[in-house]
Amino acid sequence: MSAIVATSSPGAVTDDTLVAAHGLGKSYPKVFRPRDRLRALGRLLLGSDIADSVPVVREVDLRVRRGESLGLIGENGAGKSTLLKLLTGVLTPSAGTVEVHGRVGALLELGAGFHPEYTGRDNIAMSAALYGLTGEEMRERLPQIVEFADIGRYIDEPVKHYSSGMVVRLGFAIVAALKADLLITDEVLAVGDESFQKKCVRWIEDYLDDGGTLILVSHSMYHIQKLCRQACWLHEGVIAAAGDVFEVTQAYLAFHERKLAGTAPVRDTIAAQGLEFHLLDLSVNGVAQETPLFLDRGDNLRVRARVRSRDGRAPVVAFGIVRADGSAVYGVSSEMDGVLPFAESENVYIAEIEFANLALLPGAYAIRAHPLDSEGVRLFDTLERGIVVRGHSREFGIVRLDHVWHQTPSPTAAAQDTRLLRATNP
Amino acid sequence: MNTSMALVAHFVRRELQNRYLGSISGSLWALMQPLAQLAIYGFVWAYVFKMRPPGDDASPGAIVPFLALGMWPWNAFAEAVTRSTTVIQDNAGLIGKVAVPRAVLVFSTAAASFLLHGFGFCAIMVALGLAGMSVHLLMLPVALLAFALLFLLALGFSFLFAAVQVFVRDLSQALGQIMPLWMFASPVLYAREQLPEAYRGWFGFNPFSFYPEYLRSLMLDAGRVDVVAQSIAVVVAIAVCALGYVVFRRLDPRFEDFL
Repeated sequence: MSAIVATSSPGAVTDDTLVAAHGLGKSYPKVFRPRDRLRALGRLLLGSDIADSVPVVREVDLRVRRGESLGLIGENGAGKSTLLKLLTGVLTPSAGTVEVHGRVGALLELGAGFHPEYTGRDNIAMSAALYGLTGEEMRERLPQIVEFADIGRYIDEPVKHYSSGMVVRLGFAIVAALKADLLITDEVLAVGDESFQKKCVRWIEDYLDDGGTLILVSHSMYHIQKLCRQACWLHEGVIAAAGDVFEVTQAYLAFHERKLAGTAPVRDTIAAQGLEFHLLDLSVNGVAQETPLFLDRGDNLRVRARVRSRDGRAPVVAFGIVRADGSAVYGVSSEMDGVLPFAESENVYIAEIEFANLALLPGAYAIRAHPLDSEGVRLFDTLERGIVVRGHSREFGIVRLDHVWHQTPSPTAAAQDTRLLRATNP
Repeated sequence: MNTSMALVAHFVRRELQNRYLGSISGSLWALMQPLAQLAIYGFVWAYVFKMRPPGDDASPGAIVPFLALGMWPWNAFAEAVTRSTTVIQDNAGLIGKVAVPRAVLVFSTAAASFLLHGFGFCAIMVALGLAGMSVHLLMLPVALLAFALLFLLALGFSFLFAAVQVFVRDLSQALGQIMPLWMFASPVLYAREQLPEAYRGWFGFNPFSFYPEYLRSLMLDAGRVDVVAQSIAVVVAIAVCALGYVVFRRLDPRFEDFL
């Protein structure tokens, strides 16, 4: 069962958690024909769930504490807006729970909640009521809102006459006046002009400095990195990565670079199944996911590929590591090392390799696996998984080569030096 | 609770404004329309069909308060139910974007209709009293209590229909046909006594038929409605309201999936 628990008194919370989501999911029912609606109605009235649905957000666990700032990034359709709507109670989760403590100010969509026929002032009053402000609080803050919105005489005109920038100004002004414990904004700031964007960013910075809490969705990594200290990357409805804002945004950008550069091979799953050898799956450190896995330098990297062999012969399996831009780092095959993949069943072979004490410098890389025929001549299939090596380093290059600094010249080196000197100065 | 009431106040005001937005006479229309309706029915009933209120040998004009006591409760009820039926669908834009308690939307729509027609009812009763008709104006507060009970009944249907309409869009179309039928199946424009004996019992299945009859007994001394009928009306109104609300709450979390 799903539930939204909302308490409006922040005093009731003992720890500083403002938002907590557990196993949060939202799916939409598949409705093709009018008859499906009737069936859904019947099922819901009888208390059972709708059978056929498409998940948009799955298994999201999230916790935002007071004073934190979280950036939410991801491609179009990754479920960011849906997640925000679940957190703000606009949508009801189909799985999991959301707990929200304190007053939430949300700027989700352009002009959400505004009625086009009414004036700016009327809409301010309505929005204030929707946010739960009393009439008195509203009157008190009205001048402040009008001043922040700064849209002049338009405040007394119907909202239908507003430009989209004015709508955002009004919306942000209302949210700013709320003195919310938690501010949630979707990609709406981008509509405002340069000066208003700056004004908003400055306001958000002041708000964060005063201990405010923020969840921001943006496609602008600049805004995300400027305003947020944590980031969460949503990919196809699940959290692909969460943590420090720089690590997550870098991984996200690298993911896109790889996609753009076309180095990630486009794999036709159906066609692959017709091959003599094809990859069933590829897991990195036990995780088989499309989005990158985060590692620290010096971690162990264990890659495991399952290969289906059409006629049951054992394949040769090659593994390789490439950098995000496609340049090769290292590659090796089972045949080179004289190893045989072990048979899981008659037609399925498993090859597993471990790179201990990973020497890769921080950055984004891809692991590739290819099955080859038993002779190691023909290459059949390719699967790729991203990894991100975390950390900060000022070293150059791709890998950290083992090295020792000699702080006193060793005798042989000194001898060499003198020889060199002699060679150049006869 | 407090914030919900503030929201209801906002939505009721908006609902009343919305209807007459841009019209010059504004909410005067709300009072004019039923008056015009009353004038037409009064004329046709009194002079064309030569109808008299039952058990009374009064002037042709006596039909006017009789009709008014049927039409105002019916208008309030029918309008509340029909307007509420589509309120969730009409506010799809709001529901998908802002966290608004959906029950507030239905409640506000139904409440707006009852406020409007409740006020109109008082006005017409006072006007008829001043015009010298034998209307018991002292009973007006009790009549308003009956209106409040009728509001509960309307609210129940409103919740039920608003929720079902989200899933089955045919409902509002069907209601357009059903509501006039329902009106003529209720003692709105005629009295129970004018029906053939065999059909009178059917009113027992119509939860609305109590209200015009009770209001007429109250305001015009026409006929008697016993305590049993009154108690049944109270129970039915509360039961319908509860049922409607339970169904609404059950479907409420899935509205956004079907809008």
